[in-house]
Amino acid sequence: MLPVIDKTACTGCGACIEVCPPRALVLRDECACVEDEFCEECGFCAAECPVSAIAIPFPTLAGSV
Amino acid sequence: MQYPHIFTPGRIGTLVTTNRIKYAATETNFPFGDGFVSDREVAYMEAQAQGGAGIVTTQGAYMDERGEGKGFKGMMAAYDDRFIPGLSRIAEVIKKNGALSCFQLLHCGREGGVDLDYCLMPSVVPQKLSYFKPPREISVSQIRQSVIDHVRAARRAVDAGFDMIEISGIVGYLLSTFISRYTNKRQDGYGGNIRSRCRLMVEVLGAVKAEVGKNVPVGIRLCGLELLDDRGGNTLEESLESFRIAEEAGADYLSVTIGWHESSVPVITRDVPMGHWLWVAGKVKEAAKVPVMMAFRQFTPDVPEEAIASGTIDFWEACRPMIADPGLPRKIAEKKESEIIPCIACNLCFSRLYFHQPLMCSVRPTLGHEGETSWGYRGFAPAGRKKKVIVVGGGPAGLQCAAVAAQRGHKVTLWEKSAHVGGALLLASQVDEGAEELLRPVRYLEDACLKAGVELRTGYAATSEALAGEEADAIVITSGATESIPPGAGALPVFSPGNIIAGGITPSGNILILGGDGVALGVAVFLLRKGGAFNLFIVEEGAKLGRDVNPFYLWGYMRRLKEGKATLLRGCRLLAIDGTRARVSGAKGETILDVNAIVAAQRKPADWWSGALQGSKKEIYVAGDAKRPRRLNNAIHDGFRVGITI
Repeated sequence: MLPVIDKTACTGCGACIEVCPPRALVLRDECACVEDEFCEECGFCAAECPVSAIAIPFPTLAGSV
Repeated sequence: MQYPHIFTPGRIGTLVTTNRIKYAATETNFPFGDGFVSDREVAYMEAQAQGGAGIVTTQGAYMDERGEGKGFKGMMAAYDDRFIPGLSRIAEVIKKNGALSCFQLLHCGREGGVDLDYCLMPSVVPQKLSYFKPPREISVSQIRQSVIDHVRAARRAVDAGFDMIEISGIVGYLLSTFISRYTNKRQDGYGGNIRSRCRLMVEVLGAVKAEVGKNVPVGIRLCGLELLDDRGGNTLEESLESFRIAEEAGADYLSVTIGWHESSVPVITRDVPMGHWLWVAGKVKEAAKVPVMMAFRQFTPDVPEEAIASGTIDFWEACRPMIADPGLPRKIAEKKESEIIPCIACNLCFSRLYFHQPLMCSVRPTLGHEGETSWGYRGFAPAGRKKKVIVVGGGPAGLQCAAVAAQRGHKVTLWEKSAHVGGALLLASQVDEGAEELLRPVRYLEDACLKAGVELRTGYAATSEALAGEEADAIVITSGATESIPPGAGALPVFSPGNIIAGGITPSGNILILGGDGVALGVAVFLLRKGGAFNLFIVEEGAKLGRDVNPFYLWGYMRRLKEGKATLLRGCRLLAIDGTRARVSGAKGETILDVNAIVAAQRKPADWWSGALQGSKKEIYVAGDAKRPRRLNNAIHDGFRVGITI
């Protein structure tokens, strides 16, 4: 699952960028952005974010029906 | 029969298995976040069942509604009857394919509470790994409830149609935390000596067995060697005793595992030789009357064949090798070992689970797509139009792309400039102990290319002009990364990773390694293993070294760099070189280093092809490091996706 970044919570600190294996995160206007084409969906960024601005939405059956 | 012992029927309790291979349990994160089985999970389990193992085990299911036992966002649940229909879909696909279906009960204990802000343990012993929750001490009434939860979940599994039950008590999960003296400091009847620490395990086993009756065997997975000596874990003798106690309590088989997730000893990485841990299973087997089984670094059938023949184990448990190729048992039986997609112990599968992502496999892009025909797990439908395809570069991306495109019916020619295919894997396979296993996927992919009719042209270099003049419908650039040579090195010798690893050059004096990704660390580890009169300085612009190296390997690499007294300059940049003096900037200002050689381990995408092919009417694809330098799984997955797209 692709990470979803809360742009209002992101402080632009760049911690996620440092840990992204395929370098699929970039800073744009002081906010982290995901280049979907290169994201390998490892989840490292969400675990690293100090302000929990990155979420990996996990689908539920209840949410899909 | 080449492996007579593996393909001998076995017996578990009252049941007979067709052979001695058990697909061992692994979580997948394929089920839904609320514990329900998904189509994706059923398709994966069906692939495992069709692979030919005698026993197929489900992923561990948590058994409490609150989710204290839930250790993974996408973990399967069995705490309510409403899960039974999904569970029975799995039992059905396993049994339909002739395997015994085994349902695993798993309370994740110290690794549980994934959706909560705590986890449950016998005693409050702080976590060493940051992604686990803060522990709370489990009360006696909660312990009793957990026994009931196991019983009810086992009943649901039987109602869903499963043949047997497995109880998991390994690596830091609830039962193991009771058994280990590291995490069990209780003063009540559940703590104390090894027999008391095994009390919960005995109660669970006894209660589950009483519930399911003698025709449903109940096995157990326990830790044979905790490797927690640095934290006051169990002795080997205590661990062996836990197996004897489990057998007394009625376990119908004993699955022997090694290490905890917190162990600081390599257990399942490539530097651990295949079959390394079998002696522990052998110790369990000495005292056991019920079947003994083990997984752990038995990737090729010769290892378990010998172990079964010598009476060390009774069953071969395959987990990672069957994630990489569920068809492993059948391919061995049919003498098609060269067609097995080989697990390389990269542990991408493992690290993904802990970051709440579905299982993924570096060497098998079809993992999790077994039910989608376009991904070709069971073979491809022919492409609508047969095309002439040229793949430039015989590394993992190019080989994987060529194989898949040819399997779809395209006429594929692969150009490789050197004498051998393999690309960057030929270098990576020389870096550290066991790395030669990285050549296994090269041999597999080369074999797949040849069987699919790919024309392999080695010693065949490409230029963009030559490509532009070729009659082809599609061109795939998989020529690997371009080395990024620093400007202005002056008289200083500049080497590529290839010069060092394949070329055998060992510079003397102060070596500046530019870049801090896996390639740079690989060069450093290679040099330190080889030895020489040098000091290493690694200059990385980012704050983290080895961002693209799996955590299972990174800690070992970092330890080696420390032992080799390498200077790690994080957050630093090479500004200029004046003679032999390198100016390096960092957070604390500039430093001057006296340098004798440079290794350029920064890489950039390939751009050599763009000139003559820009605006070409041919379909142009770029994959792997040529597109963006990354790691092996990206190369293979890129190549695969292009292969199914052309």
